[in-house]
Amino acid sequence: MSTLVADTVSKRFGGVTALSNVSLELREGEIHGLIGPNGSGKTTLLNLLTGYYQVDEGDIRLDGEPLARSPVQQRPRVGIARTFQKPRLLGSLSVLDNAMLGGWCETRAGFLETALALPRARREERALRDRAEELLHGVGLGYAIHRRASLLDHAEQRFLEIARGLVMRARFILLDEPAGGLTEGEIEHLASIVTALRDAGIGVLLVEHHTDFVFSVCDRVTTLNLGRMIKHATPAEVRSDPEVIRVYLGA
Amino acid sequence: MTTSSLPRLGTLAVGGILAVTLPFWVGDFYQLHLAALIGVYWVLIAGLNLVVGYTGQLSIGHVGLLSIGSYAFAILVGRYGVDPLLTLALAGGLGGLCGFLLGLPSLRLPGFYFAMATMAFALIMAELSLAQGGLTGGGAGLPVPGFEAPFDTPTGFYWLVLLVAALITWMTWNVARLMWGRGLIALRDSEVAAAAVGVPIFRLKLTVFTFSGVTAGIGGALFASLQSYITPETFVFELGLFFFVCIIIGGRGSILGPFVGTVVLTALPEMVAPLAKLGNFFYGLLLLAVVLVVPEGIGHVIKSVMARLQKKGPEPKGLQPDIGRLAAAVRRGMEQDMQRDIQRGHAS
Repeated sequence: MSTLVADTVSKRFGGVTALSNVSLELREGEIHGLIGPNGSGKTTLLNLLTGYYQVDEGDIRLDGEPLARSPVQQRPRVGIARTFQKPRLLGSLSVLDNAMLGGWCETRAGFLETALALPRARREERALRDRAEELLHGVGLGYAIHRRASLLDHAEQRFLEIARGLVMRARFILLDEPAGGLTEGEIEHLASIVTALRDAGIGVLLVEHHTDFVFSVCDRVTTLNLGRMIKHATPAEVRSDPEVIRVYLGA
Repeated sequence: MTTSSLPRLGTLAVGGILAVTLPFWVGDFYQLHLAALIGVYWVLIAGLNLVVGYTGQLSIGHVGLLSIGSYAFAILVGRYGVDPLLTLALAGGLGGLCGFLLGLPSLRLPGFYFAMATMAFALIMAELSLAQGGLTGGGAGLPVPGFEAPFDTPTGFYWLVLLVAALITWMTWNVARLMWGRGLIALRDSEVAAAAVGVPIFRLKLTVFTFSGVTAGIGGALFASLQSYITPETFVFELGLFFFVCIIIGGRGSILGPFVGTVVLTALPEMVAPLAKLGNFFYGLLLLAVVLVVPEGIGHVIKSVMARLQKKGPEPKGLQPDIGRLAAAVRRGMEQDMQRDIQRGHAS
């Protein structure tokens, strides 16, 4: 089974220890929740897994291969996609173009091939367009395919980022607070999407504050507090853990 | 980058016919010269547009690359009798090489410092052309031969320029509408997003900058031949700013906009006598007006007008995921992925 692993990683910013000896294993075909109070290091861990930060100690491994020293751009090549708390889209381009950008790594046509529109460049473009359209319809953005991304509302932007990650044929997709700012109905859509991804064999990491959502869809949940892991178990166990309740969930 | 509609194709066809037949309906040779000059500028600006308009790298020193192409043409054809068309290609190659060497250190600099580096390059080229009198004729300059038949007449030369400009425009259009265009715009608008999808940032910047060097070199060769005499004064720094301003006024992320910008900025001061007296003041005024009134540029105005003309009904809203379709698309993608791995022998 394919796994993406953070192995006893630590991360310091100046004198502040953001993460200390935290381990997390994301398996293919599971939804893994990562919860904790603000400042507990959730996004830092996500940034370590996706290469935006370098680990100070410990290692990041994909199927046992070390990944910690490879640059951000390497992650999509090995099938790791992410979304951002504040969606990072290209506002001047259409929804379709934004989704197709996810196919950058598998586009083989070089600059001259593209400039001369040689057959391979056009063939790749067509294949990618077809897949992006399917995935956009799949996440529910079919009606907005030719709209400028800057005209999308918040939920639509989040779903578009997911579609962009899927166009990349991600084996693992790491979602940074995907439910933030979504209505109840939109969260239900999100739940059905991540469940479908899991069933298709993708490993989904949910960094999330919306605990009801996390406990209802996740297979396993990791809880952080002050840069340390305090509980790692099934949703039911985490929910009833006295320490988790004390620092995060409240009574 | 999405749809090519019928009216657009029609406009393109009409524009193409007008451009090709221009020598027959234009008033006099001076206007033909002006049209050729616009074409020559556009050869450079079309390439520069990928750098400035798409990738967001603010090069204000392309006049330096232009002068390299010009002097290469004047020296190789004038002094050594090399075939002009061959030299046109050589000038492109030399421009590309110089662009590559200039971009290699400077494209790592953040925006403002990159602009300064390109400015310094242009100033150095101006000084070099003045100082290396043995090669460039120094302040006295060099005469530049024309092309051979059938490009030896003003009309023939115009068609040569038109051919080169059309070819380069087509190439930049392909780059802009296909995958590379998305990658370039990602660099301009969000390097974080670009990195997240695996765009190699520096390699892209260097590639388009090198390409813009090629078009500047080719443009330089054509420019020299059109001017028929070049001196360091021909390549004043303001010319580099002029290219840059054409793109900014035309609008980022558009090809038509900067083209209109080039036509307007080149032709207006020549056609309307009072504007010519204003010189750089006119460019400054126009730039100020565009930046204040339509900061997205002329291209954006054209697009909005077109969009208003083909106004559709109210836009539908409401996310409605189609889970069956999603799952099928994801599974298909994964299967293709595995097949690809097996073909490459990575499966073991």
